[in-house]
Amino acid sequence: MNEPRTHKVKDIFVDGAIDPGFVGTSIAKHATRTDIGAHEIFLGQVRADVIEGRAVTAIEYTAYRAMALEQMTAIREEAFAKWPSMTCLHVHHSLGTIHAGELCFMVFASAPHRVQAREAVAWVVDRIKTGLPIFGKEILSDSAHTWKTNK
Amino acid sequence: MLFGLIAEKAGTDRLELQAGSLGELRGKLAQHINGFEELSHAIAVDRRVTHDDVPLSGEEEIAVLPPFAGG
Repeated sequence: MNEPRTHKVKDIFVDGAIDPGFVGTSIAKHATRTDIGAHEIFLGQVRADVIEGRAVTAIEYTAYRAMALEQMTAIREEAFAKWPSMTCLHVHHSLGTIHAGELCFMVFASAPHRVQAREAVAWVVDRIKTGLPIFGKEILSDSAHTWKTNK
Repeated sequence: MLFGLIAEKAGTDRLELQAGSLGELRGKLAQHINGFEELSHAIAVDRRVTHDDVPLSGEEEIAVLPPFAGG
């Protein structure tokens, strides 16, 4: 769990949905880090938005991986600079087809105290949504599609 | 490289175009992709979004990116 705070590029992308069980396993892996007092976790779930009378049944995620991972490395470094007491930060984002109700995004920060973890997760989530070249094709109930745009 | 909606409109995720600058490249993209000017997009040169009309040598990695939708 003791992540090196280096320039090493970590892959955040996973094929398919994030298994809710993986979230529990991720928490359990921190049991030995008894300097941690707070975990903060954001989980993104695919929402069945209704677009012109048709529900979104799934989102097909693609990414410009090389740029996304470079951006993520910069965000990670900035996050550790802003919240130096943060113990660790884990980010996972799905690629491929994720059905409504499944998890597609996880940001998990741990720190000695809750404020750092909470602030860091909120900031990292926003930075990822606005700064990483990830694209989402929303598949509708009649097999048509639209392209998701983050507001 | 083209991504998402831009790739869909172009019918391909890769285009080979000759251009000496980013401005010239934008013009060529508009010739190859119907309605390109109306499509919200950003262009990344070597994985950095670039708004200026920078010169291009042909060695750069160019990507045309539709709006981001992560999370």
